[in-house]
Amino acid sequence: MIWMTWRQFRAQALVGLGALVLVAGWLLVLGLRIHGAYADTLAHCAAREACTGPLGAFADRYGLQVDLLGYLLLAVPGAVGVFWGAPLVARELEAGTHRLVWNQSVTRGRWLAAKLGLVGLLSVAATGLYSLLLTWAAGPVTDILDNRFEPAVFASRNLAPLGYAAFAFVLGATLGLFLRRAVPAMAATLVVFAALQIAVPALVRPHYEAPTRTSVPLTADLIGRLTKIGTYGDIGGLRVPGGPWVVETSPILDTAGQEVGRTAWFQDCMDHSPLAELPACLAARDIHVEIAEHPADRYWTFQSLETALYTALTATLAATALRRIRRHPA
Amino acid sequence: MTPVLEAVKLGKRYGRHHALTDVDLNVPPGRVIGLVGPNGAGKSTLLQLACGLIAPSSGTIRVLGAAPAAGPAHLARVGFVAQDTPVYADLSVADHLRMGARLNPRWDQALARRRLARSDLDPRQKAGRLSGGQRAQLALTLAAAKRPELLILDEPAAALDPLARQAFLEHLTESVAELGAAAVLSSHALSDVRRVCDHVIVLAGSRVLVAGDVTDLLAGHVRVTARHADLARLPGGAEIVRYTDGASGGASGGAPGGAPGGGAPDEGTAVVRTDRALPSDGPWTTADIGLEEVVLAHLGRAAGSTTPAGSTTPTPAEAHR
Repeated sequence: MIWMTWRQFRAQALVGLGALVLVAGWLLVLGLRIHGAYADTLAHCAAREACTGPLGAFADRYGLQVDLLGYLLLAVPGAVGVFWGAPLVARELEAGTHRLVWNQSVTRGRWLAAKLGLVGLLSVAATGLYSLLLTWAAGPVTDILDNRFEPAVFASRNLAPLGYAAFAFVLGATLGLFLRRAVPAMAATLVVFAALQIAVPALVRPHYEAPTRTSVPLTADLIGRLTKIGTYGDIGGLRVPGGPWVVETSPILDTAGQEVGRTAWFQDCMDHSPLAELPACLAARDIHVEIAEHPADRYWTFQSLETALYTALTATLAATALRRIRRHPA
Repeated sequence: MTPVLEAVKLGKRYGRHHALTDVDLNVPPGRVIGLVGPNGAGKSTLLQLACGLIAPSSGTIRVLGAAPAAGPAHLARVGFVAQDTPVYADLSVADHLRMGARLNPRWDQALARRRLARSDLDPRQKAGRLSGGQRAQLALTLAAAKRPELLILDEPAAALDPLARQAFLEHLTESVAELGAAAVLSSHALSDVRRVCDHVIVLAGSRVLVAGDVTDLLAGHVRVTARHADLARLPGGAEIVRYTDGASGGASGGAPGGAPGGGAPDEGTAVVRTDRALPSDGPWTTADIGLEEVVLAHLGRAAGSTTPAGSTTPTPAEAHR
C-alpha cells in the first residue's frame, strides 16, 4: 500500500517539494542575513548604553519579509488540505478507480489508513520544516518586537502549524470521502478550515487558561507606540513589555481609577498638544490601564494546547472517515 | 460443497427505489454464471453486493462461504472487474501490474505477463491512452493474476466493438480455465452469455425470474407450435411462459430460429416450461429450444405481465440486442 500511495501521490508531492525548496532557500538566505545583521547590531550597541534605536531599525528592516513569510505559512495548511487532502479519496470515487483498488487484497480501512498516514506525514513534515526555518530565521526580529504571542505570529511559529497541517489534510480527505467529488470537497475544505482559523484565535485560544488581570502604567514611551488613542480615552495596539498576550484593555484611567476620557485636562492634551508632545502631556498625569493578559511564560503551554486541540480534531476526523469507509462503502 | 454465491431474501434500496428485491440464490461451485436482464434490472447492484462494494439493505449475501470483502484473505479469493473497467489513467500498464503484485499475496506475475502479451498490451503505455478493449483486457488481467477462486465481471464487454468483444471473451474463457475458478458475468448481450456460461440467472425489475444450469433450463423448456385454443390441453405441470401469435411471427424477440414462418395462419408459438417430455400425440408440434429464446420468453413475460395472456406484448428493448 505504501508503494501504491506514493506512486499515486508522486506528482503532487514533487510540486509541493519544489515549492518547499524555493521557500526554504529564501528562508535560509534571509535567516543568515538576519542573524548576521543582528550580531552586527549588538556589537555596534555594545559600546553604547541604549540599543533601542538600532534594534528597532533592524526589526523594521526585516519586518516586512518576516511578516509575509509568516502569512504564507498560515496559508500552507489550507493549501495542503485543498490540494493534497480533498482529492485523495474524492478523485478515486470520481474516476471509479475505487472499484479497482478496493478489490485488491487490501481492506478499504487499511487502504484509507495507509493513504492518510503516508500523505498526512508528508504534509506535517513539509509544514514542520517551513515552520522550523521561519522560527529560526525570524527569531531575532520576533524577540525584539516581543510579539510571538500575537495571533498571526503565534500561528506561524514552532509547533502550531504542524497541528494545522495534519488537521487540514485529514479534513480535506474526509470531506472528499463524504462529498464524493473533488472540487466541492476542495471548496468545503477551504471554507471550514478558514472559518476555524478565525474562530479559534478569536473565541477558543483566549480561554486555554484564565487571563490574569493587571494594571499597566502608561509611560510616555508606551503611549508613543500605541496605534490608536480615541477621543474619549480608549486605546489600541498596546504593547506591554515582556510580550504577554493582551486580550482585553480598559480605557485610560487616572490614579483614582476613574476614566479620564471626558476630563478637561485630557481633552486639553488631545486638542492642544502637537503629536510629538502628546505622550508626555498624557503621561504627566500618572495614568494607567487595566488589562486582561496571558503572561509571556504561558506561550509554550498555549502552543502545546493549540497543537493538542488540532491533533484531537484530526484524530476524530480520521476515525470518522475510517468508520464511514468500513461501514458505508460506496 | 460451499456455494459460490448464496443470497437469502437479499434486497437493496436507494431511497425509495428498489434495486433488488427478495433475491434468493444458491449457485453451486465450478460454474461460469451468466447474469442477464435489461438495464436497471439490478445486475450491477447484485454484483457490487457480491464483492462488498455496497452493503445490502435487507437479507444476506455470502460469497465463497463468507460475507463479501470480509477481510484481506477473502478479498484475495475474489477477483472483480467493474463496469466500464476503471483503471488509473496516469499509471502505466506495468505500474498496474506492480500494484497487483504489491497488493495481492497470491499474485501470479507470470500469468499476468502472459495475458498481457496475449492481448498485445505495451507495458510502458499509460492506461489512460488504452482503447476500451485494451482497458478491459488490462482489468481482466489484474483480476485474474491475483488467482481468485471466483471472478466477478460487471458488463465487461458492454462498450466493446465486436472484435474487441470476441478477444475479451476468449481471454475470459482461457483465464477461467487456467485458474479453475468460478465466474459470474453480467451482460445484456445474450450471445455473450451463451458463448461462455453454463449457468444463467435472469433478473428483471429487481427480481430473479429464473436461475439454473443451462442444460437444465434447456431440458426444462420446449417450443410448442399449436393453435392457441389447443394449448389448454397441455398436461398438468406444463407452464406456458409466453405465447406468440403466428401472424406476428418471430415477435418473441428476434431470437434466431424463432417462430417459423410456416404453419397454419391461426397457429402460434409457445415457450413452455415442463419437467417431462410432452406427449407427442397432442395437437401440437414440439421443437428443441435455444437459451436465448428461453431467456427472452421469461423477460417478455415479466415485461408484459400486465397485458392479457395471449396478446402480443412488446418485448423490452433490451431483448432485441
